[in-house]
Amino acid sequence: MLKVTNLQYQYKNAENIYSYELEVKPQEVVAILGQSGSGKSTLLDIVAGFVEPSAGSVILDEEELIGLPVEKRPITILFQNHNLFEHLSVQKNILLGVSKVLKDSIEEVEKVQAILKEVGLEEHEHKLASKLSGGQQQRVALARVLIRREPILLLDEPFTGLDEKTRLEMLDLVKKITLEHNLHTIMVTHEVEDCERIANKIYEMQDHSLVAR
Amino acid sequence: MMFKGLLRFKSAVLPGMLLSFTLLSFAFLLFYTLYLSQDGDIFTSIDERIYGLLKFTLYQAFLSTVLSLAVGILLAWALAHQSQFKGRGLLVALFSSSLVLPTLIVVFGLIGIFGRNGYLNQTTLFLFDTSFGSYLYGLGGILLAHTYLNASFASRALLHSFESIPKEKYKLAKSLNFSVFERFLYVEYPALKSTLLSIGSTIFLLCFTSFAVVLLLGGSPSYNTLEVAIYEAVKLDFDIGLALKLALIQLSISAVLVVFSSSFRVGLSNLKTSHTLIPWRETKTLQIVQWLIIGVFTLFFVLPLVVIVLDGIRADFTRILVEPLFVKSFMTSIMLATVSSILTVIIAVLLSNSRRNFSLSTRLEDHPFSKVLNAIIAFSGNLYLAIPSLVLGLGFFLMSQKYDGSPLLWSTLALLTANVLMSLPFALSVLAPAMQKTAQRYDKLAFSLGLTKRQRWFYVEYPYLKSALAYVFALAFCFSLGDLGIIALFGSDEFTTLPWYLYQLMGSYRTTDAAGVALVLLVLVLTVFILLPRLFRSERVKSN
Repeated sequence: MLKVTNLQYQYKNAENIYSYELEVKPQEVVAILGQSGSGKSTLLDIVAGFVEPSAGSVILDEEELIGLPVEKRPITILFQNHNLFEHLSVQKNILLGVSKVLKDSIEEVEKVQAILKEVGLEEHEHKLASKLSGGQQQRVALARVLIRREPILLLDEPFTGLDEKTRLEMLDLVKKITLEHNLHTIMVTHEVEDCERIANKIYEMQDHSLVAR
Repeated sequence: MMFKGLLRFKSAVLPGMLLSFTLLSFAFLLFYTLYLSQDGDIFTSIDERIYGLLKFTLYQAFLSTVLSLAVGILLAWALAHQSQFKGRGLLVALFSSSLVLPTLIVVFGLIGIFGRNGYLNQTTLFLFDTSFGSYLYGLGGILLAHTYLNASFASRALLHSFESIPKEKYKLAKSLNFSVFERFLYVEYPALKSTLLSIGSTIFLLCFTSFAVVLLLGGSPSYNTLEVAIYEAVKLDFDIGLALKLALIQLSISAVLVVFSSSFRVGLSNLKTSHTLIPWRETKTLQIVQWLIIGVFTLFFVLPLVVIVLDGIRADFTRILVEPLFVKSFMTSIMLATVSSILTVIIAVLLSNSRRNFSLSTRLEDHPFSKVLNAIIAFSGNLYLAIPSLVLGLGFFLMSQKYDGSPLLWSTLALLTANVLMSLPFALSVLAPAMQKTAQRYDKLAFSLGLTKRQRWFYVEYPYLKSALAYVFALAFCFSLGDLGIIALFGSDEFTTLPWYLYQLMGSYRTTDAAGVALVLLVLVLTVFILLPRLFRSERVKSN
């Protein structure tokens, strides 16, 4: 279980304090709705470790995540853009999710090939990421989620800008991955339809606080 | 919390900060050495002569800046409005090369055209049986050379500003029936203002500390600047006391100017220019004026280089290239240029890497001391603008008298230090923004994936920085190859570089040999500057 308890954040030189409280079970997708600038992405930044809260905790199975550096947190995050290194191949982009050495092993490469098959991109293994369509790029990013096997998946409006058919395919893939790999998924979006399609619980940012819908 | 952040990024921050500390300590040591070596209070013993030197130094720097900016604006304006002719890209790239052209080459070329026996006088003598005589030496020659070197540099930066103006503003101006002057005042000048200030302050600093131009074209003590006076005090008059006095005054004023101008100084970029497409033709008169400006400046820029080629090819290369002094000069120049370029790249990367940690929200931007530390690192990288080369040279000269070490060692150390310090401001102005952009783009992704430092460098940073690194290396290499600054204090037959050798040839009226050596230097500089960055350009990576 991922528990966000009494989390608070205040921007520099601002008066408002943003507060968050939620729980995410394994295999659950929790959606956070809100207008631009309402503070929903800040929650993801805190859980990921890019910013430190002023109070509160983020606990995964009794382990406190606050205080851990980003690279030590058990998360994979997808952003609105720059989810891939465009100058690298699809294979390399996925391998960088797990490999800590410069030379890749045969086992790792085989793992990548298997995962690319799972997301339907096996023939694009050696293509440059910049040559893929928007939807294909997000599939590669999701393939990296699979290879990393981290229990928390954070989605910061990664499917904005895709055509409706591709966006719905991506959402279904997120749901499938969350169920099959026991992930705790938090998805930030401003699309109500996206929430209703795949979310188990929906929260909304109202007056700088997260409230259940 | 304060130290936790620093600890997390220690490997990125510490090397740059240590380097910064080393550079600032060196500057302090230099100032201390100079100050301790002089007797009395320098500021109460400024006599008429020193006051005159200071006045002229400031005066020529001011006039040079005004002229360079005026010509630069006109040229940039003309190029911005004639944006689609064939060869425009090549022309703009050629003007960019003025940054790396050795001052000695430029002066040699200008003397070849405007000197007493130059092509202009020879032409008027042939056509009209009259000559203009010797008019190049003095304030006019200094201004001419400074304008040549700096107007093209200014026009490149200003062209970027012109091209950043949205075409909708031009459409608005046209719909309101603005005259050319009104269009410039209300649409174009606001876009140029900040660039003008920053370029202007850089040009002023460069002209204030100008050495080779004044040495070669000053012509008489009335047209000496502080830098040349330091050189003459050390090399000709053996008056170290006077040299020290002048050096401390020069250092104090330069430091104040650097601090004053640092808030609006911006550097150069190796980005290509684009062109704003204004979808209507200018009036015929305006087009003629713009073409005239481009044509005249191109002639002005290219002719001295053509003269070097024409005079140079007449030299006896079979003899020059095997002369022991030429070979020694060539090898020393190449060695010094290579070592100082490598050092410049490494130091610039480390300083830029440190700096960006204090200005990124994913790193230490919120650290209490981030602004101060950022400013300190930036200042340490721009030290050369505050410490002119002759002042630096004098400092090394005094240290070589005080401490052990062979003259060759001190000369090499002095030149390497000067070359690196001279290139650093330009290197940082290219690398710092490039590294900042790479981090802004990929920090979150790289941190969330837990990439190691080596993975980060090989797979993320290097592919994007490759061409900037090659450009910085080429820039530093060319600066070093062409410098006639500190070598003027340390040069001898035992320790000689190409510019020093060329200067000796010019001084002993071996003009044909000098032309040959000038051509070699020109070809070397242009080859490195144009070819090297191209070798590292990558089609995989779109420029930042």
